[in-house]
Amino acid sequence: MKSAIQVLKEQFNHFYLVRRLSLYEIKSKNKNNYLGMLWEVLNPSIQILIYWFVFGALLGRAPVEIDGKEISFIYWLMAGFILWTFFFQSIIHGSKSIYTRLRMLSKMNFPMSIIPSYVIFSQFYVHLVMLGISIIVFQFAGYYINVYFVQLFYYIFAAVCLTFAISLITSTLSTMIRDVHLLLASVLRMMLYVSGVLWPLSILKEYPPIILTIIKLNPLYYLMEGYRISFFGSEWYLITHWQYTLYFWVVILVLFLIGATLHVKFRRHFIDYL
Amino acid sequence: MEKAIIVSNVTKKYKLYKGTKDRLLDLITPKSYGEDFFALAGVNFEAEKGDIIGFIGINGSGKSTLSNIIAGIVPETSGKVTVNGQSSLIAVSAGLKNELSGRENIELKLLMLGFNKKQIKELEPEIIEFAELEKFIDQPVKSYSSGMKSRLGFAISVNVDPDILIIDEALSVGDKAFAEKSLNKMKEFKQKGKTMIFVSHSLGQMKEFCEKILWLEFGMVKDFGTVEEVIPKYEDFLNQWKKMDNKERNEYREKGFERQKEILFQKS
Repeated sequence: MKSAIQVLKEQFNHFYLVRRLSLYEIKSKNKNNYLGMLWEVLNPSIQILIYWFVFGALLGRAPVEIDGKEISFIYWLMAGFILWTFFFQSIIHGSKSIYTRLRMLSKMNFPMSIIPSYVIFSQFYVHLVMLGISIIVFQFAGYYINVYFVQLFYYIFAAVCLTFAISLITSTLSTMIRDVHLLLASVLRMMLYVSGVLWPLSILKEYPPIILTIIKLNPLYYLMEGYRISFFGSEWYLITHWQYTLYFWVVILVLFLIGATLHVKFRRHFIDYL
Repeated sequence: MEKAIIVSNVTKKYKLYKGTKDRLLDLITPKSYGEDFFALAGVNFEAEKGDIIGFIGINGSGKSTLSNIIAGIVPETSGKVTVNGQSSLIAVSAGLKNELSGRENIELKLLMLGFNKKQIKELEPEIIEFAELEKFIDQPVKSYSSGMKSRLGFAISVNVDPDILIIDEALSVGDKAFAEKSLNKMKEFKQKGKTMIFVSHSLGQMKEFCEKILWLEFGMVKDFGTVEEVIPKYEDFLNQWKKMDNKERNEYREKGFERQKEILFQKS
């Protein structure tokens, strides 16, 4: 508990640093390519097109129904996939954030817990741009901004919380045991298929309900549903499914407590693991 | 006099593993696997404010480990280090980001050291001027020569105005002109009464610049005193050491590690 408060305090006290460092982060990553930061947007766009081609065009996925409305598969996919890209990139880069930067941070009084957060933040800018583009596309496709859009801010915040809580754990563990990072990459690959990014869970109707419940235990699924409801739906998802909301925040809290405890316990010795 | 650095009974233990199996077993089981290696064993020393101390000793005697611990980069295994003031370590590998330009590296490094936007704006031109990078300042650091890199690293560390400066072999790179310029900067610091620690193999520089010498051997303090006292003893030792053949050196080393064990045993 004490370490959790300490980590939170560091986040707030050094928020300026998080913002500045995250900008350098994107800059240094895209310094070598001619199109620069455009790649941050191009990459996920190309991926969406590929998945749309495979699942939508080749396998002929039917439109998905949300709150009684039919949503074309491509738009449905897009709404989930931008969240997925943010989640995937943040977790992957967050996990290796500490051990790849430790040498550079030659000072101990640098608050280590902001390393994963500024890496996540650099992804967050990209996410905001992607969201902006998607919203514009949805306007042309006929899914207009309405009052339920307000929920989106809540889900964006929740997504940042989830990625930070997970990254706090994985960045500590993968600094100590490098294999964790490799394992994580494999697990994430699987997550893409079971988090409801590429296909709606409604096609599981004929299977025993227990499978659906297990899939819903994944906190990312809560966010997926939330994003899509905000774009296309007509309900206040976080209130109508308040048990699920409660479950989500309990999971975040537990993950964060574990992460903060691990981080504070081992951070003094990170350099010994290099 | 006010103490700037107090190092009391500091020990640094590294674990030497035979393979990944040992490493894993050590991590998850309470039993200890792998061999202990003590880079430092029961080191005590104190530096007054304004002291200029040189660390000497043959390779592997723990000079760099001790300076890293004082700089707060590496944690000590046991013992206590008290440092009054902000310390800054200058090493050859100054931790620059290769993809970013020199200017961006300066900004990034200063940000991480906790400077705000205004202070960075003020410091930047001084650093650029000191580093003598001229038009290369906006080129990515990966295109720099090793001399340019160390000049930049040195310029950043020196211009942030630390209270305690730790210089680890950093003056041995760069040409004569820059070395002289750095030395002059050091002298400026000396006049300001800053505490400095020098790690170098160049006894000439030590004699010229330091006031006190800490002689380390096998992670233990062999001698600590003024330059006039310690340097001649060390020179004698070096002459002896050069004459020894491999067998004698090994014997000497073993004796050293036995003494180390005794010290550690007394402590526990």
